[in-house]
Amino acid sequence: MDELRRALDFCVCHQTILGYSTVSLLTAASEQIFSSVVFKCPCNSGNMLYGSTFLLMPAFILFLLGYMVNTRIWRLLTGSCPPENHCSCSPWGTCTQYCLVLAVVTARALVAPLTWIAVALLSASFYECAASGSSLMEDFVCKGKGQECRKLLVKIPCDEKLSKDITAEHLSLQAQSQLIGWLLIASIMTVALIAKCISRCDSPARYRQLKLLKTYSEKEQELFEIKAKEHATRLAEINTNYFFGVTDPVPFQTPSNEDWQNINSLYTFNSKDQYYSMLHEYVNTKRGKSNESGQGGQ
Amino acid sequence: MDGFQTLLKFFMNQKTAIGYSFMALLTMGGERVFSLVAFRCPCSNENFRYGLVFLFSPALVLLIIGYFVNSKTWKLFTGCWANPRKIFPRGNTCHFFYIFGQITLNALVAPVMWLSVALLNGTFYECAMSGLKNPTYLNAVCHSKSEKCFEELHKVACDKSSMPFTESDELKRTLQAQSQILGWCVIVTTALLSLLTTCCASCQSKVSHLQLMFLRVYTEKEKEKMEQIFQLYATKLSERNLKCFFENKEPEAIPLPAFQAWEDASQLYSVSSSKQYYSTIHKLVEEAPKGINEETETMMDFVDRRETS
Repeated sequence: MDELRRALDFCVCHQTILGYSTVSLLTAASEQIFSSVVFKCPCNSGNMLYGSTFLLMPAFILFLLGYMVNTRIWRLLTGSCPPENHCSCSPWGTCTQYCLVLAVVTARALVAPLTWIAVALLSASFYECAASGSSLMEDFVCKGKGQECRKLLVKIPCDEKLSKDITAEHLSLQAQSQLIGWLLIASIMTVALIAKCISRCDSPARYRQLKLLKTYSEKEQELFEIKAKEHATRLAEINTNYFFGVTDPVPFQTPSNEDWQNINSLYTFNSKDQYYSMLHEYVNTKRGKSNESGQGGQ
Repeated sequence: MDGFQTLLKFFMNQKTAIGYSFMALLTMGGERVFSLVAFRCPCSNENFRYGLVFLFSPALVLLIIGYFVNSKTWKLFTGCWANPRKIFPRGNTCHFFYIFGQITLNALVAPVMWLSVALLNGTFYECAMSGLKNPTYLNAVCHSKSEKCFEELHKVACDKSSMPFTESDELKRTLQAQSQILGWCVIVTTALLSLLTTCCASCQSKVSHLQLMFLRVYTEKEKEKMEQIFQLYATKLSERNLKCFFENKEPEAIPLPAFQAWEDASQLYSVSSSKQYYSTIHKLVEEAPKGINEETETMMDFVDRRETS
């Protein structure tokens, strides 16, 4: 049991990396399933459309899914344009905040689609099918070889021997695909490293403080869920008991709509105030104000 | 045990994703079973009708099941005959269509999954389109093939045509390719539409994200508490009734909410930004502090069911 606990602790500590690795593994596995079970290149003039559909549509769907499961974007969007305002919303001040959050969310949402494209290019079946039907490839491979070459080019995905005959002087379609795949992986890694360097250089918090910030956010989220469940259970108990006439109405303190609104916006750490979340800032400033008003009343 | 608890908690948190994946796997399994066991393409002029029926009838059945299992449907329709104003309240006639639209969107998930899986597999589409006698379509599919293609396309799905193997194999692959491209288009369109509608609905939400999360937790907990209290009261009431019946005693009073209270509590709740209510019952409780109208049940005249206290 100790070992299991240690393994689970390790998983919880590194859950972001494990999460992304699981997504990548699942994407790779489903790509293998698709290309071996579902994918059958038609070997005619529809090759280009078919191959590019299988290459790009799943990537697009994974991209949209990436947006849907990201909570940051919903935290920002929910209630941002209620019907009472008649949609005269989004003042310019928050435009930069929206754009920044959108950029971060887009970058995270791009992990799964780029994994799909990279794995698909490495396994080469989709690219081979698409390229064998593309007019660019026709012009490149069949220069000076006549009409027969063009007719046979589209049959390459269905017949391996043809590939050696027609593309003998150039890189085979499969090799091209794998080359592009590796280039894509290398460039994504480089861009990711540069982006992380820039964001860390620009960060208002120091290295160890960032770790505390991350741990604090996770713990606050965990405890928020627990506290919300407890609060909801107590409120539901009071309401249902009163509905059935079991007890008389019991006064119960619940945060107001305004309180919820105030803790909802996404928090950006600043080195002056050193608050670790919107909740932290709200609790400190609210308590400060209520202390002042208490003293003023005396 | 701690480890097991943590694992269980992780899976409970991901229950939406697990639910949808399970539904997708079930759809894939069901489609496989259908296409292997039940589906036999007739390879005649009836191909088109047969293929379309197999493609769309399960989708229709799944849609109807989706309507059945959604509790909002029954909340909307129960008692509407006696009180039509409930569905079309004064000054808010679009209310019914808005709620019905929401229910329909939820119910459409399973049929769309079926359609996409069936189209990606290609068997039903291949059978249906090989029987389509539209001249434009036939010209497009058979354009560089022999004359036999126009007459024997419907036999291609069963490998019974007299065309050479390469030609019939290419025709099959073409039809399958069309089916799979259509399948991907269906999935992409659905994903895009659901992202856009979720965005619009979120933007127009009257409360913030965190409060909406709390609202969901509260709704779940209230449902649980209601179930518990129903069990408790149903047990108490039935015990009392049976005891009085068998032992011929006077029934003691068990107070229950009045009919109007049940009617009010059964309304569909919509969030308001000005009021701090999380459900219809919460609203009733906060707005009726003098006490829900209690019915003293023992005083009912069982013959004509009027209060005779």
